[in-house]
Amino acid sequence: MTTQSHQSGHTGPHSAAFFRLEGTLVTRPTLAAAAWLAGNAQGLGERLARLGNVALAAPVALRGDLSTGVTTSRLTWMGLRGMSEDRITVLAEEYVEEFLAGELLEVGMRLVAEARRQGRRVVLISDNIDLVAGPLADRVEADDVICNRLEIRKGKATGRLEDPVIGGNVAGQWARDFAKEHGLDLDQSYAYGASAADSLLLSAIGWPCAVNPDRQLRRIARDHQWPVVEGKDRS
Amino acid sequence: MSAFPVRDTFAGKHVVVTGVTGFVGKVWLAMLLDYVPEVRRVTVLGRGKKGQDAAQRFEQIYRSSPVFRPLRERLGQELYDLMDQKVEVLDAKLSEPLCGLEPWQARELMADVDVVVHFAGLTDFEPDPQLAIDANIHGARHVADLAALSPSGRYVHCSTCFVAGMRSGHAPETLTRGLSPNGTRFDPEQEVATLEAALRALPSKADRLALGMERAKRLGWPNVYTFTKALSEHLLEGREDIQTTTVRPAIVECAERYPFAGWNEGINTSGPLVWLMGTVFRRLPVRHSVGFDIIPVDMVCRGTFLAAAAALRDESLPIYQLGTGGRNRLDFERALDLSNLAIRRQHRRSEDPFTRYVLSQLSAYSASPDKEYVLGVKQTKRLMEELRNTLKDLDVRRLLPPATFERHGERLTAQVREWSTDARNQARKLKSVEDMLRQFRPFIWDHDYHFETEAACALTERLDRDELPLFGFDVDDLDWRDYYINVQVPGLETWCIPLLRGEKIPVDPPLPARAHPKPQSGEHRTRPAARLSA
Repeated sequence: MTTQSHQSGHTGPHSAAFFRLEGTLVTRPTLAAAAWLAGNAQGLGERLARLGNVALAAPVALRGDLSTGVTTSRLTWMGLRGMSEDRITVLAEEYVEEFLAGELLEVGMRLVAEARRQGRRVVLISDNIDLVAGPLADRVEADDVICNRLEIRKGKATGRLEDPVIGGNVAGQWARDFAKEHGLDLDQSYAYGASAADSLLLSAIGWPCAVNPDRQLRRIARDHQWPVVEGKDRS
Repeated sequence: MSAFPVRDTFAGKHVVVTGVTGFVGKVWLAMLLDYVPEVRRVTVLGRGKKGQDAAQRFEQIYRSSPVFRPLRERLGQELYDLMDQKVEVLDAKLSEPLCGLEPWQARELMADVDVVVHFAGLTDFEPDPQLAIDANIHGARHVADLAALSPSGRYVHCSTCFVAGMRSGHAPETLTRGLSPNGTRFDPEQEVATLEAALRALPSKADRLALGMERAKRLGWPNVYTFTKALSEHLLEGREDIQTTTVRPAIVECAERYPFAGWNEGINTSGPLVWLMGTVFRRLPVRHSVGFDIIPVDMVCRGTFLAAAAALRDESLPIYQLGTGGRNRLDFERALDLSNLAIRRQHRRSEDPFTRYVLSQLSAYSASPDKEYVLGVKQTKRLMEELRNTLKDLDVRRLLPPATFERHGERLTAQVREWSTDARNQARKLKSVEDMLRQFRPFIWDHDYHFETEAACALTERLDRDELPLFGFDVDDLDWRDYYINVQVPGLETWCIPLLRGEKIPVDPPLPARAHPKPQSGEHRTRPAARLSA
């Protein structure tokens, strides 16, 4: 896991807006990024082998069990073992440029702009790797991004993620730790999520909000009287 | 006060420079005039070409070469004033004693010179050995003779790291006179004299080249270029009448920032490799574990400024190696990966569907130069040669029935002739690629050099913060990924690869002619070039 600061000298009040990247700002799942990187390895044989490796994570991810989030994350990135940091970095930039930057959800961008206007610290939380989430955070002009980090040894990925690993089910602990580290008041902070996997994050924050929620999160939001925001347009 | 102020050191000095029409010398001179306007005077020793004298040729360069773009953009018409005030261009013949000057002319010129910086040389790997001797050995000796006439005798000599010869491992910033890379003791003067005598007896260039290569390899150098450059170093090492400071660049490549990111000139080592990677040929004879010691041309110039400033302060070391491998090593495994990624990025922006969707998905990889591959360069070249021979001798009249020949014969004959010419051109191109790869082999497959570069790095540590970006040999800060993706490969695509494809490279609009005529008294300061010509 890594926390990257994207804007220094934040002077707003001690509150933040936490955005779960997948669902509120982009619709492509993390698995798609890993598959794309694996599918653009150097040779054809290498591509097939890596894609097969990433595909192993798909059934676990689709099963969607709350307890398997971290396992899914670990499995997802194993397919990049031995790939050079140069290749992953350049391809990740390409992936963001070609597939994510042009598909940012308008509703999410509006909420980010609103948070910034209110002087809140904009924090993205993602189970994607820093090489994908980082450039995207730059695009969104987020202040910080909490995401996974690939372990690199001698210029090559080991296929492991650095601990602690962020799973698909984002726990509120990430927000609590971040708030403690940066002196933020979570009761005065906002959180935006899109799937049931984000419910733990949302319930840990004073002002939760569901964005384009899936059926399960919609039910949770209704039960807890969380506001729901809809909008599928690309910005 | 800086511990090592480069600008202050050059202030008020008279610098003589050669080789300013070449790749490195041109950038160094532009940087000198741009960054050190305090220099008192610069004398350029050049030669004319295509009906132009040296002064006219130099004027054409600073009016239109991309290297002088920053100066043109900053000064506009005032660039003429700068040239009139600071620069004097003299017609010189470096292969002649005293560079073609009369002794009294040479004494008069050198009376107040503070340092001579010699970039001129012949950088072809396998030229006619006599030409290489004239340019790299006699040329350097004659320029050094001029330097010996100056009060201080300071002489900065541009050589190459690859005088290290055919061996792998640590290459220090030293030279042992009369000791070759393979440990053979030799007498440099005797070696040159013997070689020249033997060359004179051979009428054909091929025989002379064979002899030059044989002698180079016998002593441990891979080609005529490194052999003659090394002999020149050995000869200069023995001279007492000059203070020689040698700079040895490694493989000089696209500019990092001056005149602007990516600028390159001519066909350098990376160019043909990157060009090959952008074609259907995917096997490159590079060994993954071998270091690829490339260095941006402006970094070489910054290192040369440091060496020249050290010489001017009479504190220089004998040799400054200017490579990247010693501190920031790039091996071919990484270079190949980065080249593939950079080419992929270029291809994905192409409007041609084949390039965008097919070529972008292909990656080059390392392959042995000793094996022959199906549809590799060697085999394809032979195929093209055979196709050419078949088509050349093809008589369409004999193949076709008379009636068909009557109707279509003329068109078909023309078509066959065109195919034959295409096949010949392809075979020639592949032959030149094959030759280039063979010439590069010692540096990309056989030997793994680790050039020491501590001398320039030590001077960099003494630079003031203001001068660090201008003159720092900041090799540690070179980010290879950024350099390859954003500088090197796009630069080669613009400035080098079109030449390999037989296409044109971009040209800068020339600086408009002088708004005011050049002052009569200042015909490039005082002397008409012809007066000093031999």
